[in-house]
Amino acid sequence: MFDLVIPLIIGVIAGYLLRNRKHINLNKIVFGTILLLIFSLGFTIGSNNELLNSLPKVGFNALVLCLSAVTFSVLFVKVAKRIAGF
Amino acid sequence: MIKYILIALGLGGLAGYLNSVSGNTAAEGFVSDFLFNASLMMLLFVMGLMFGMDKESLAKLKKTGPKVLVVPFVVALGSILGGLVGGLILGINVVVSMAICAGYGWYTLTGPLIVQIFGTEYGMLGFSVNFLRELLTITTISLMIRIDRYAPIAIGGATTMDTTLPVIVRYCGSDSLVSAFSNGFVLSVAAPFTIVAIASLR
Repeated sequence: MFDLVIPLIIGVIAGYLLRNRKHINLNKIVFGTILLLIFSLGFTIGSNNELLNSLPKVGFNALVLCLSAVTFSVLFVKVAKRIAGF
Repeated sequence: MIKYILIALGLGGLAGYLNSVSGNTAAEGFVSDFLFNASLMMLLFVMGLMFGMDKESLAKLKKTGPKVLVVPFVVALGSILGGLVGGLILGINVVVSMAICAGYGWYTLTGPLIVQIFGTEYGMLGFSVNFLRELLTITTISLMIRIDRYAPIAIGGATTMDTTLPVIVRYCGSDSLVSAFSNGFVLSVAAPFTIVAIASLR
């Protein structure tokens, strides 16, 4: 997994070194990169026929996992609010 | 934002499907391996670059105080526990389900990251879980605000610093801006690290 942390760390160091440069707008680059990433993700899913057939099952599992994560998140925030008093 | 992402996902899926029907393995290798990994690394690099360049990001975070860190911390814990419980209910690998829920709604990161760690089928699940989380934040906000003032922020997870921020501020009031933004900021920074950390439990 180090190959994923390395670009992140290099980015932080490069950003820190470039922090006094005139402001560079990176939002368009981020947006373009996200679209490229999502396109290639869609491409990988689309070219995998086994995966396409398993979609209905994935959808149900996704809903259960999502609702479970969301329920515990809200519950924990309510408890933390009572304990920390904010 | 969601509109363009759905279009890119749909176009990619259609292109991939048509490509596999025509049996062009060279194009599949280029997009699935090279383009996918290159854009993921580029995205991680630019996220790091933005964090390093923004002189105020760290100061903003310090100014709001440690109390504001309580919300993203318990949201992270709740999401991971939710992943464990959900994984047990469904009978799937709990390390995978916990890692997926540690995306905190950031589907553009979690989907590709889970693909690389656990393979394409789990990647689809990782994408769907977190995509549904963002959709749920936007569609249920008027109901959730009645349960708790912080409920929309808890549900939004990592998305509360960008995509769901305008919606949250509109429903929860302008004073929720700092808590929503810092919650999303902390969870966005935490997401890649917690996913990788949970995946290493395998």
